[in-house]
Amino acid sequence: MQITLDGLQKHYGTYHALKSIDLAVPAGQFVALVGPSGCGKSTLLRTIAGLEAISAGTLRIAGEDVTRRPPRQRDVAMVFQSYALYPHMTVAENMGYALKLRRLNRTDIARRTQVAAATLGLEALLGRYPRELSGGQRQRVAMGRAIVRDPKVFLFDEPLSNLDAALRVHMRGELRDLHDRLAATSVYVTHDQIEAMTMADHVVVMRAGRIEQQGRPLDLYDRPASRFVAGFIGSPAMNILPGTVDPSGRAARLDGAEGPLLSLPMLLEPGRPVLLGLRPEHLRLSQEGGARFDGVVDHIESTGSTTFVKLKVASQAMVMTLARRLDVTLGDPMQIGFDPADLHIFDRESEASLVTQRDAPPRAGRA
Amino acid sequence: MKISGQTSRPGRIAVSALPDPTASTMRLSVFDTFRDGRGLDALLVLLTLVYLIVFGLAPILYTVLMSLQQVDMFTLGDFSRPFVGFANYVDVLTRPEAGMVARHTLVFVALSVACQLVLGFALALFFQQDFPGAGIMRGLFLAAWIMPGLVVGGIWRWMLAGDNGVVNSLLAVTHLHPTKIFWMSDPATSLYAVTIANIWLGIPFNMLLLSVGLAAIPKDLYEAAQLDGAGPVERFRSITLPMMRATLGALVSLSVIFTLQQFDLFAGMTQGGPSNSSNVAQFWSWQLSFQTYDIAGGSTIAVLMIAVVIGVATLYVRSTRHEQIG
Amino acid sequence: MKRYLLTAIGIGITGAYLFPLYWMYATALKDDAEIVQYPPTLVPQRPFWNVGEVFFGRHMPSYLWNSLVVAVGVTALVIVLGTGCAYVLGRARGRWVDALLFFVLMMQVLPSSLVVTPLFVGFNLAGLLGTPRLAVILAQTAKALPFYVVICRASFAGVPRDLEEAALVDGHSRLAAFFHIAVPLARNGILVAAVLVFLQSFGEYVFARSMISDDGLQTATVGLSAFLGPNTSDWHGIMTYSAIYVTPILIIFVLLQRRIVAGLTAGAIK
Ligand SMILES: Nc1ncnc2c1ncn2[C@@H]1O[C@H](COP(=O)(O)OP(=O)(O)OP(=O)(O)O)[C@@H](O)[C@H]1O
Ligand SMILES: [Mg+2]
Repeated sequence: MQITLDGLQKHYGTYHALKSIDLAVPAGQFVALVGPSGCGKSTLLRTIAGLEAISAGTLRIAGEDVTRRPPRQRDVAMVFQSYALYPHMTVAENMGYALKLRRLNRTDIARRTQVAAATLGLEALLGRYPRELSGGQRQRVAMGRAIVRDPKVFLFDEPLSNLDAALRVHMRGELRDLHDRLAATSVYVTHDQIEAMTMADHVVVMRAGRIEQQGRPLDLYDRPASRFVAGFIGSPAMNILPGTVDPSGRAARLDGAEGPLLSLPMLLEPGRPVLLGLRPEHLRLSQEGGARFDGVVDHIESTGSTTFVKLKVASQAMVMTLARRLDVTLGDPMQIGFDPADLHIFDRESEASLVTQRDAPPRAGRA
Repeated sequence: MKISGQTSRPGRIAVSALPDPTASTMRLSVFDTFRDGRGLDALLVLLTLVYLIVFGLAPILYTVLMSLQQVDMFTLGDFSRPFVGFANYVDVLTRPEAGMVARHTLVFVALSVACQLVLGFALALFFQQDFPGAGIMRGLFLAAWIMPGLVVGGIWRWMLAGDNGVVNSLLAVTHLHPTKIFWMSDPATSLYAVTIANIWLGIPFNMLLLSVGLAAIPKDLYEAAQLDGAGPVERFRSITLPMMRATLGALVSLSVIFTLQQFDLFAGMTQGGPSNSSNVAQFWSWQLSFQTYDIAGGSTIAVLMIAVVIGVATLYVRSTRHEQIG
Repeated sequence: MKRYLLTAIGIGITGAYLFPLYWMYATALKDDAEIVQYPPTLVPQRPFWNVGEVFFGRHMPSYLWNSLVVAVGVTALVIVLGTGCAYVLGRARGRWVDALLFFVLMMQVLPSSLVVTPLFVGFNLAGLLGTPRLAVILAQTAKALPFYVVICRASFAGVPRDLEEAALVDGHSRLAAFFHIAVPLARNGILVAAVLVFLQSFGEYVFARSMISDDGLQTATVGLSAFLGPNTSDWHGIMTYSAIYVTPILIIFVLLQRRIVAGLTAGAIK
């Protein structure tokens, strides 16, 4: 079922937690909300659930205005970061509780609980209490409690953040599978951009109570609308260095650097202060011409498959990742090249992208 | 510890108004704000608040009013009584026994609080050690705390009896005081008799709070100090005491408050006598009101004492605030 | 080895501390001749049991019944009035909550013997002294309610908020989530607080003494205080009375001791 938010606002006393959020989630989509801690992701999710009153704006679920309705009249299911399993109920009772509240009869509850438990591999645990489960099992029960209800909307608030790294990766895939099988509409909060990129159809990047940018994961990666999104999406983060447009308007120079100019993919007014962004994975070692500059190896790390090279370029730090091993010593000079098409340019003042202004991608997701 | 889901009967209230969840209900009705909105909080709080205003705050204000009025047997049933300004205060404070009662109150509180604290601390430290049964024994001390005060007063009065009390005999056997002390009837000792009983009553509470405070001190602090070569006394002085400062502060205020609430022991042991030698303010106030029907006098003392208690309680709240922040 | 030595010392200290309780029972078992003996015998020589005479001779059934009426009334009223407030105070935050908590604490510290004067005069004007047990219940509730709220608040604060929110999403109203999730999970603290309120009220003296004049409606403490007159010498009778009166209290205490300690510490600290 689609969810539509129109000019949604949330105030906590004098604190303005959500500042006019417009968002449309088409039915069946998996939407991830990402952003730094405190940006309002949980708040937004909780207003959709009905756990926080909406200060202004409207919220529609499946076309119906539910702005002022209590959670129980919205038919949403939520998986909490802490799982929030009722400690005084068994797994089966936890999962069947919502059905019991809807006065389904016992056999129906048992049947639906069984089906959900089978989906998640929980059959053997139905008689246990939450305290008798491992973290991963609790997480599954929390999911089970959501899916037995067959709700219009699933809401997840960092559901994987309490799991260890391996299980987290495994659950990512499973969660996405589940979403597809149930043909559900899901809103998923995470502060882990990899989770968002790998799981979601549509990613919403939030910052200080606003939506900074939204779109398909790779669109955000390719065309970040601002320095903030550029720094947030992608790992390691994009290198962003101050530079100034050359008198020709077709190239820029890193501030403080003597080396050659970086050619720009478009024309800008000469002398304009800008920020130049380059993803670590778009940098390469280069011997011959093209866009390139000089750096000095400052630090080097390798995971075996990937080598992280930290460089000093005009006394600024920069990171480069290479998918191969590298035999260099600290202090070695290095020439770095890149494809001018991979260069991101942001206005120094507004930090808005100057590239996306030129060929803005279609804003996916707005109805 | 666990109750099964079947025994609770969820949904009775919710379900009656929970239609098909897709059915459209519009705005929250008045009834719904009490079920779902802020109205519920307000309603729940108001139950307590209104009750305490009517039966707690109003009486205090009424005491203040009466302390400014002429209230006696004849005007007791009247709604409006003649105002006398501060005459009651002047009258009460210039009575011959006023100074004595004030002194007794001070001695009673100071001795009680100090002894409870020292003994409670010693006991808490002792039972803090790890030995079989420590927890259970510590808990048993609380048995004294839940006893009706009047019964405790009766027991102590019997134990401190002059002629055949067990305390006197114990003092004689141990040669601490070979002659009999007439604890309750000797004006020189009557206040101390009640104080002893009150110390006994207050020890468990002190011990409990101090145990909690002690348990909250991280063990590795002691281990670190031990590695630095600090002996037990030095560890107590440099770790235990400073770490317990907040607890001690809160505890002293609470003990003062509880000691000022003590009434039953006086009623059970000495009735404030002989000749007011063991009378304290909270008992005197009651005596004036209910034994001599000098309700204005009783109210006047009550106002003064309530001011003291509220002052101490404010200090207590301040100290706990501080604890949370620091 | 050292640990068992400590246990032995601990038993000695606890025994010495609880000696007054022992002395009450010992005296209740001594006859009049043994009682006046000096030095007193530590263990009753000719144990003799006089429960019936004291129990009926001193009208204890009526006194105990009245105490029970008061204690049950106060406990019921306190639970009904205070549980919700404790819940809100344990949940909500903000300046209003702080102010309310401060007010509740101030009501808790007021000595009964000081507020009884205005309550007596006020109840007299309101005609409440005609139903004196009710008057005592109302007065004692005001005394016990803040205590109950403070203790319960701590256990409500210990119930994760997420659980209630999960219940809201699962289909409960807030009111129903309070009853079906918060209350069951905080029941330990509620039980301890209710038991303590019950015990306090069962042993209440000031209000009963001051407001109840009809002997048939008097509570057990007032019956004891009549027994404890200035020139009393019937210590056997008084201690028998006391023993009958406090034994149920001590039994409740022993049964719930661990929960009471846990509940009190949680409530006192937060
Ligand atoms: N009940 C509240 N009262 C006042 N402010 C609140 C309340 N709840 C949240 N906030 C504030 O609203 C902002 C957004 O909070 P929110 O929990 O939505 O952040 P988040 O994006 O989920 O962060 P995290 O990644 O750390 O979970 C924060 O600055 C927070 O301090
Ligand atoms: Mg969050």
